[in-house]
Amino acid sequence: MSSRFERFALYLTVPAGLLVILLYALPILQVLALSVTEGSGALANYERLFTSRAVARVVQTTLVVSISTTLITMVIAYVIAFGMIHMDHRQRKLALLMVSIPFWVSVLVRAFAWITILRSQGVLNSGLMSIGAITEPIQLVYNRVGVTIGMVHYMVPFAVLLLYANLTDIDRRVVQAARSLGARPMTVFLRVWLPMSVPGIAVTTIFILVFSLGFLITPALLGGGRTLMIAEYISVQISNTGRWDLATALSAALLIAVGMLLALVFRSPAMRAAFGGSSK
Amino acid sequence: MSARTRHRLMMAVVWAFLLFLFLPVLVVIPVSVTDKTYLSLPADGISFAHYASLVDPARDWVPSFRNSVLAAFATAIIATAIAAAFAVGAWIRAGWWPSSVRLLMLSPLIVPPIIYAVGVVRVLSKMSMLDTFWGVLVVHVVLSLPMAFLAIAASLSNLDNRMVTAARSLGARPMTIFGRVILPNIAPGLAAGAFLAFITSWDEITVTLFITARHFVTLPRRIYTSITDSIDPALAAIASVLLIATMAVLIAQSLFSGRHKRAGSPK
Repeated sequence: MSSRFERFALYLTVPAGLLVILLYALPILQVLALSVTEGSGALANYERLFTSRAVARVVQTTLVVSISTTLITMVIAYVIAFGMIHMDHRQRKLALLMVSIPFWVSVLVRAFAWITILRSQGVLNSGLMSIGAITEPIQLVYNRVGVTIGMVHYMVPFAVLLLYANLTDIDRRVVQAARSLGARPMTVFLRVWLPMSVPGIAVTTIFILVFSLGFLITPALLGGGRTLMIAEYISVQISNTGRWDLATALSAALLIAVGMLLALVFRSPAMRAAFGGSSK
Repeated sequence: MSARTRHRLMMAVVWAFLLFLFLPVLVVIPVSVTDKTYLSLPADGISFAHYASLVDPARDWVPSFRNSVLAAFATAIIATAIAAAFAVGAWIRAGWWPSSVRLLMLSPLIVPPIIYAVGVVRVLSKMSMLDTFWGVLVVHVVLSLPMAFLAIAASLSNLDNRMVTAARSLGARPMTIFGRVILPNIAPGLAAGAFLAFITSWDEITVTLFITARHFVTLPRRIYTSITDSIDPALAAIASVLLIATMAVLIAQSLFSGRHKRAGSPK
């Protein structure tokens, strides 16, 4: 028997519950449903994902760009996060500000800034040409290079904040113990820091990969229609060609891929520990 | 190589990477004051003509700015109210229902927004809410709930539930406990939640791109169209305004938190 107070508590959860079921869960279920009912049915829709050459090219671009983005992001972010825990208070504050500003600035402002810098009449090319380093502008944007630069720049602040939180949790006494036992700095890094940050690195890597795979804005703006990734391809299918069958089948496939990556995060005991969850 | 040199070398690389994050966004500021009509660095002096063009009625930046402010304010109020009610309800009474709702509510933080966009565009079109204020509002509320909820839940976790027990044993009615005991004690969480909801709505572009067209254009949507159609220095002006506003808030917060910490340090 619940008291009046507990019934009141239950009522408080109803508006949020209705809202997320009706306007979040249902639209996503709708995508899954449409992927098997639109066009010529489930089999044809999903078969096309594996037979269409256009889809194969988009999937390949998405994988290449997302995986290279994730790897580059992780290296840069780990170096920054590792550096930050070795800074004094003032320096760390400045570093945190330099990470937070790009983190909070609109994704559109960042993409626009990169277009300004990278395009053929842009800041970088005209600068290099005026000092005579190059004679022809280098193609740095509207291709995979530009998309990867923009995406890495978008992802690094996320990754730094996640890794930094993880690194500050590492027991510094272990590091001191290793040093006092005569381990050299490189040994301390390879045998103490790195193994102890594996859970944080793994979780961050998966998050960055998931964000990259479904990213629309930066790839669309810096790809300029020439480097097509899954999200933009889905958007083109809906807005320009009205191919709901293909759009929903691809969305469902993306959802399944993301779901499997996230299951990895929540299954592995090391990663669960990194989330501060259960003890096992 | 001595340990000191190695340390200096590592720190040099760290600061170089930090500059890679920070410097590129700054480029919009010099470009916004260019004296040319095309995107470039200022050559023969600076000009604020591109800032003036932002308020030119023919360029419809102002209506999109107004729409965004409207949507963000409404989203902040509604999302904070719904998230606060849910957070308090789930805090008092655990169970399968609150935890399932919580999982669904937090999903937009991880599930790619493109998937939600594809689904919600069909739902809104059935309800004839595409390209309207109300359509944008409900979608922004759904997308703002996670951040609002996390801020409020963090504040609630610091609340001593013996206060609630005391109020109950003194015979306070549920509504009184909610309004007079719980809410005043989580005011900072409510403020943080409302702020995060405002920013989420203000910045939202992926889903908004699908559910708006011509009638209800938000500022991000206007910027997106402008980047894909014709890049001009007015874009650099609006980008600079957004960048400087973000920097001002973050720098103020950084200075304030520093003073706060020093004031609170032992004497």
